[in-house]
Amino acid sequence: MSLKIIESCVNCYACEPLCPSKAIYMSKTHFKINAKKCTECEDDFAEPQCASICPIEGAILDALNVPLNPPGSLTGIPPERMAEVMAELQAH
Amino acid sequence: MELPVLNEKPAATGGCSASSCGTTDDQLSHLSDDIREKVQNHPCYSEDAHHYFARMHVAVAPACNIQCHYCNRKYDCANESRPGVVSELLTPDQAVKKTMAVAANIPQMTVLGIAGPGDPLANPERTFETFRRLSEEAPDIKLCVSTNGLALPAAVEELSKHNIDHVTITINCVDPEVGAKIYPWIFWENRRIKGKKGAKILIEQQQKGLEMLVAKGILVKVNSVMIPGVNDKHLAEVSKIVKEKGAFLHNVMPLIAEAEHGTFYGVMGQRGPNPEELQALQDSCSGDMNMMRHCRQCRADAVGMLGEDRGDEFTMDKIETMEIDYQAAMEKRKVIHQAITEEMNSKRAAKATAAEQFAAEEKLTTRPVLMAVATSGQGLINMHFGHAKEFLIYEASPEGVRFISHRKTELYCSGDSACGEAETALQRTIRTLEGCEAVLCSKVGYEPWDMLEQAGIAPNGEHAMEPIEEAVMAVYKEMAAAGKLEEVSDQQRASA
Repeated sequence: MSLKIIESCVNCYACEPLCPSKAIYMSKTHFKINAKKCTECEDDFAEPQCASICPIEGAILDALNVPLNPPGSLTGIPPERMAEVMAELQAH
Repeated sequence: MELPVLNEKPAATGGCSASSCGTTDDQLSHLSDDIREKVQNHPCYSEDAHHYFARMHVAVAPACNIQCHYCNRKYDCANESRPGVVSELLTPDQAVKKTMAVAANIPQMTVLGIAGPGDPLANPERTFETFRRLSEEAPDIKLCVSTNGLALPAAVEELSKHNIDHVTITINCVDPEVGAKIYPWIFWENRRIKGKKGAKILIEQQQKGLEMLVAKGILVKVNSVMIPGVNDKHLAEVSKIVKEKGAFLHNVMPLIAEAEHGTFYGVMGQRGPNPEELQALQDSCSGDMNMMRHCRQCRADAVGMLGEDRGDEFTMDKIETMEIDYQAAMEKRKVIHQAITEEMNSKRAAKATAAEQFAAEEKLTTRPVLMAVATSGQGLINMHFGHAKEFLIYEASPEGVRFISHRKTELYCSGDSACGEAETALQRTIRTLEGCEAVLCSKVGYEPWDMLEQAGIAPNGEHAMEPIEEAVMAVYKEMAAAGKLEEVSDQQRASA
């Protein structure tokens, strides 16, 4: 069992000091999780700490590649609204 | 020549009107001597000091413990610089090096702040290591920190140990209902807490932190972001409460929200306030509370005078090649600061005398007028219209001259042949001056001159190198004498 940080990570450092297993490390493009060390915070906290502070929707995935913070869950922006606005901006 | 500036001595005379008190460069005059001593050369706290002294921020604190609807950690935005993209995220060691290099090269620098791009107190190790080393190695630099307040109570003790006598807390609300519309979540005691519950905890921590800092004698400035329809009606209450608790300055800033910033407010179409709305709110918040109006909402890695950013001159690769003798730099800084302080004091004294003269003069009965000024500092009209990246807005009225705000503009006169774009940029600049009836600068070209006149804004280059307030009042009097201003009855003025 392990969580995963993907490339949308913005290197904000917030998760790294919170990890009880010291599984998070800085890597060249973004922070990563050592799969061997990650316990998903089981026995330590009710919720995975990295996913609980991460501000970027979709940046942390579970073992099944499902985002712990799906689109819209952190910002409150409905995904369809975001898509609409992005499409509008690109059209310009 | 008289120099009519309001409120030279509000503390001594007392009872000055809410609309004018605490808004001039002598906004700090009701403070005790020891507090005044602390802020008199701080560009962010003292309106007249910001014409002379510089500040810098070091971006050592990338992590944040809350989410605000006006911030997006994913994209660069006008309010912040994102780690690794628009700024160099610094280690404490690099931050110390950069601070010493800037202080040696920009001797007017008095203040080093840590303001993010995340929350400095959510990065306590990086923030405090930077402060600890700087208070030892650069003892002549004032340190300050800006925080959302969530982790503040736990940090007050540590803050008081360093050379920190200023803290800024961003407080946008004191009501969790309002807070839930601004903060979607906070991270607290190892959990993400959403909505009203999270906002309630944040508010409690902010208020507790404010009280603890005041009890320790640390100066507190409160920043608030004005969000129309969300907290605009609520901020007067916030202002009242933070003032009662001992905050010495309140800075109400306009929301910046564009769709391309990718923030909740930007994407959802939340508008920012227009200059009139901002001014009205700042006036209603003022009372006998200091309002800060010269804030530039600068970036978390800004360097230089307020309104300018010289960050590009001090990138880490450039700093590595600089040889810094800080001891020598510190001695040089001391001499320069002394000279600036003397200059400021003599100008303050001259203004006080002029204000007395002005008070004795027969008062005009004309309506107030907004004017824009192009300046690069020193309180003088010393900038070419086309070179101004921002204009300072002043109000002239029979009561005197008061500083209202600044408005940023895009530079249209680039000096090269990129003239194809120039016209639209110029039009944009003129649009940012909406509501002003004159613009004072050291020079104005023919083309902008005509366009300004067409827009109903009188261009004026006759007061180049003169002190701003003096020139603004002179122009006001000319307008009054030329019959360009309608008379206003006493009653109308009282209700204005």
